[in-house]
Amino acid sequence: MTNIEARSADLRTTRRLNPTVARYLSAFRRPRGIVGLTLLGILVVAAVLAPVLFPGGYDNQGSTSLTGMSAAHPFGLDEFGRDLLTRSVYGLRIDLSLIFAAVPLSMAVGMLLGLAGAISERLGAAVQRLFDVIIGFPGLLLGICLVAIIGPGWLALFLTILIAGMPTAGRLARAAWLAQQSREYVLAARVLGVPKWKVLTRHIVPNAMDSIVVNGSIWMVIGVYIEAGLSIVGLGVQPPTPSLGVLLNNGLRFVTQAPTYLIGPGLILVLLAVAFSLIADALNEAVNR
Amino acid sequence: MSNPTKVRPSEVRSNNPDTGTALLRVRNLRTEFKVGQDSVKAVNDVSFDVNPGDVLGIVGESGSGKSVTARSIMRMVRAPGEIVGGSVEFNGEDLLLLPEREMRRRRGSGVAMVFQDPQAALNPVMTIGAQIIEALTLHGTDKRSARRRAVELLDQVGIPDAAVKVDQYPHQFSGGMRQRVVIAIALANEPTLLIADEPTTALDVTIQAQILRLLLKLRTELGLAIAIITHDMGVVAEMCSKVAVMYGGRVVEHGTVEQVLRRPRHPYTAALLAAMPRLDDERLGQPLPAIPGSPPDPSALPPGCAFASRCRFVEDGCRHDIPSLLQIGGEGQLSACFVAQRGVSIDVEPAPDQVPAASAEESRPVETVPALEVQKLRVDVGSRRRGLLHRNPPVYAVDSVSLAVHAGETLGLVGESGCGKSTLSRSIVGITPVAGGSVEVDGHDVTSMGDEQLARVRSSVQYVFQDPYASLNPRRTVRQSLAEALSLRGLRGAELEAESHALMDRVGLRREYLDRYPHAFSGGQRQRIGIARALARRPKVLILDEPVSALDMSIQAQIINLLEELQRELGLGYLFIAHDLSVVRHLSDRVAVMYLGRIVETGTAADVYGHPQHPYTVALLSSSPTPTVEERTREQIVLQGDLPSPANPPSGCRFRTRCPIGPLVHPERTICAEQDPELLPRRNTQTAACHFAGELI
Repeated sequence: MTNIEARSADLRTTRRLNPTVARYLSAFRRPRGIVGLTLLGILVVAAVLAPVLFPGGYDNQGSTSLTGMSAAHPFGLDEFGRDLLTRSVYGLRIDLSLIFAAVPLSMAVGMLLGLAGAISERLGAAVQRLFDVIIGFPGLLLGICLVAIIGPGWLALFLTILIAGMPTAGRLARAAWLAQQSREYVLAARVLGVPKWKVLTRHIVPNAMDSIVVNGSIWMVIGVYIEAGLSIVGLGVQPPTPSLGVLLNNGLRFVTQAPTYLIGPGLILVLLAVAFSLIADALNEAVNR
Repeated sequence: MSNPTKVRPSEVRSNNPDTGTALLRVRNLRTEFKVGQDSVKAVNDVSFDVNPGDVLGIVGESGSGKSVTARSIMRMVRAPGEIVGGSVEFNGEDLLLLPEREMRRRRGSGVAMVFQDPQAALNPVMTIGAQIIEALTLHGTDKRSARRRAVELLDQVGIPDAAVKVDQYPHQFSGGMRQRVVIAIALANEPTLLIADEPTTALDVTIQAQILRLLLKLRTELGLAIAIITHDMGVVAEMCSKVAVMYGGRVVEHGTVEQVLRRPRHPYTAALLAAMPRLDDERLGQPLPAIPGSPPDPSALPPGCAFASRCRFVEDGCRHDIPSLLQIGGEGQLSACFVAQRGVSIDVEPAPDQVPAASAEESRPVETVPALEVQKLRVDVGSRRRGLLHRNPPVYAVDSVSLAVHAGETLGLVGESGCGKSTLSRSIVGITPVAGGSVEVDGHDVTSMGDEQLARVRSSVQYVFQDPYASLNPRRTVRQSLAEALSLRGLRGAELEAESHALMDRVGLRREYLDRYPHAFSGGQRQRIGIARALARRPKVLILDEPVSALDMSIQAQIINLLEELQRELGLGYLFIAHDLSVVRHLSDRVAVMYLGRIVETGTAADVYGHPQHPYTVALLSSSPTPTVEERTREQIVLQGDLPSPANPPSGCRFRTRCPIGPLVHPERTICAEQDPELLPRRNTQTAACHFAGELI
């Protein structure tokens, strides 16, 4: 009885939902979406609550160092005797803050730039050539260039992910725009006399969103890898602040003395990547259903 | 063509051990599609026979199960579809019981299939020769003789220069030629039965006539039996000896073409025949007796007769029990209808309960200024793409076209695909840029399409698109779609709400539907929404770009009636674009015939259809299939070849390369190649662009 009521209430709300949003949400009713979202939820909660969970902070040095895994220190201790679990969770904070700030912005800016063709054909073509140049640089090389200009740190990582992610979003938006332009409902809107920008926001952007949203969730994973990659070569977040990449970088140096050093941070990195991959998969299935 | 003495014994359903001479015996065939817990009965207890030399037509609308029937015979139903019962006996052996290996051997050599879309049926990266050879070698022919046979086959299906063409790729062929190639592949292993699934639906009427002729020729030459699946009663009338009418997964009527078309015994067939506009229609200006409702959803069939909810003769029993297919009338005519089986006559014309419509001949007040006038319009579709330094030469898809539409009047524009009719209409509303000439709306020149001029066009000329599925944004509700149009008129809030209600009433949709998304509607309903949206701007002229050709046959009449009603009540002017000549005849006051970017003939509908002056018009009329048996004997003028490319139109008269009275037949008529004929007044109201106008009737 209550079940039925709940379901009908649910129906009522979904009916009022925008169909685009409803489609994205339907991704999280699939097994992959559920697992991915749960995993991501646990990681996010841990990262947000890090100061509560580990009130001592990430920089507490101890007397012993480079021990293996133990009950007191599940991930072991690092070269300065700091608890690796604490540092991994604090590192996760940095990573999540990076990708949650950079990737959505990157997708949005990329999409807007990709739609520049709507303003003028020449501008659209020019932006695409700019994207060609960005794609020409591998993400890491781009990051190294940026570090050279503004110095290593969070900002450089943020900008690297932001810039590296734009071209794909832009290309997808442009492709959707080109395809949508000859769709009859877009022509119908033009014949009615709907202003250009309204045609764009009402008819073209919602239909371009699908691929960009899926692409965005894939870029979350790529963002984590860019951070790790730059940090491994020492150009990411600077010590003593931990990030997953920094921890892996340090772990590599001690791989002979403490082979288990890498396991903890590596596990968190993998879990994060798996969570986003599952979500990307589920979204992709939901929008292409 | 038909052979009444060969008609099968009446009781098709009986399991009579006397198998007779049937080449193909389909008995109680059932094919279901599993969707979750439910199974959709796509083909439900279908039985029919095909005898050697027969041409059986299987007619039905979308969702009637006709294509699934064909695929079931070939055992080509893909999962989640599954053949769950019945038998398909071919030459006495049940195909459904054969192991897959054996079945593969029968496909092509016993039963062959021709698909609807020749574009999709051919592999674009293989030469057509290679594709025919593949079909041959698969069935054991050696490579060398296979090539010789391939050329032979291409020759047989009427492809000129077969020895050269055999090494060409599909993209080098036109649509009609590709369909010939597909037929050649089907014939490669000398099948005795050819199943053609909508073989001409993707083609123009003049090409359709060529392909139908070819099929009939092959039937006589090779002694083939043909089962042709179609939605077009005209094709059936022209081609077939027997016909099976399908509705809701079942055969509802079966008989010889003469029996079924002269005296249909099932209300569906009768209603369908009555609702179709005809070339020789005498019901001009009257609403067509449209069938209410829409075809049933195969996943939600009613418990009784599937047609019951739309039937004029419906009784209580029809809603609960399913009638079986029993003999009624002449030998071999079967009908699945309780009412007809009781002996009630199923008359073709329903009792006239319609309002006496205004007569078409009623003289309309002639307005001096046309609501829409186009003069010497040229549209260039070639030079838009330019490289860095070079500009492509112009290609005029529309070349010096003049026409006018007055308020309250319908101008029908007919022509084959590629003749430029859609380009013309899109340039009138400013979607495609104009290269020359002028467009005038209400006497104001709007050719340059500046902001102010566009605003004028948009508030007086609106467009209804062909495909009701593509012309509505799937993510916006009907309310949103209408509001978008209404808000451009400055309406807000309660006013806007009231106006959307009025629009829904006007096009015959319920107001509650406003909050639904397009996917919840059938094709006919969507087209109504498309019309409502166009009306929201209160236009004076509607451009109707093939508004009914994407709809099911039983829905077309509803939309045609709606359009006529709207014209009467709102005094709209229509520019009605279509390739279906009978629909144009029914709706139009005047007709313009277009060929390769030019108008070749104009005049009142009665004159143009009654006494066509241009040979192209004559050929179009002659190629257009009509659903009457009486027409079967008429001499057909079948045009040769294809529409030339507008990038390189023939010199002089553009039609001369296909003209049945031009230099092809009369080599002395050099004037056709030298002088471009002008559109000059000929007979009564007619103008025609031909040096020898009126010669061919």
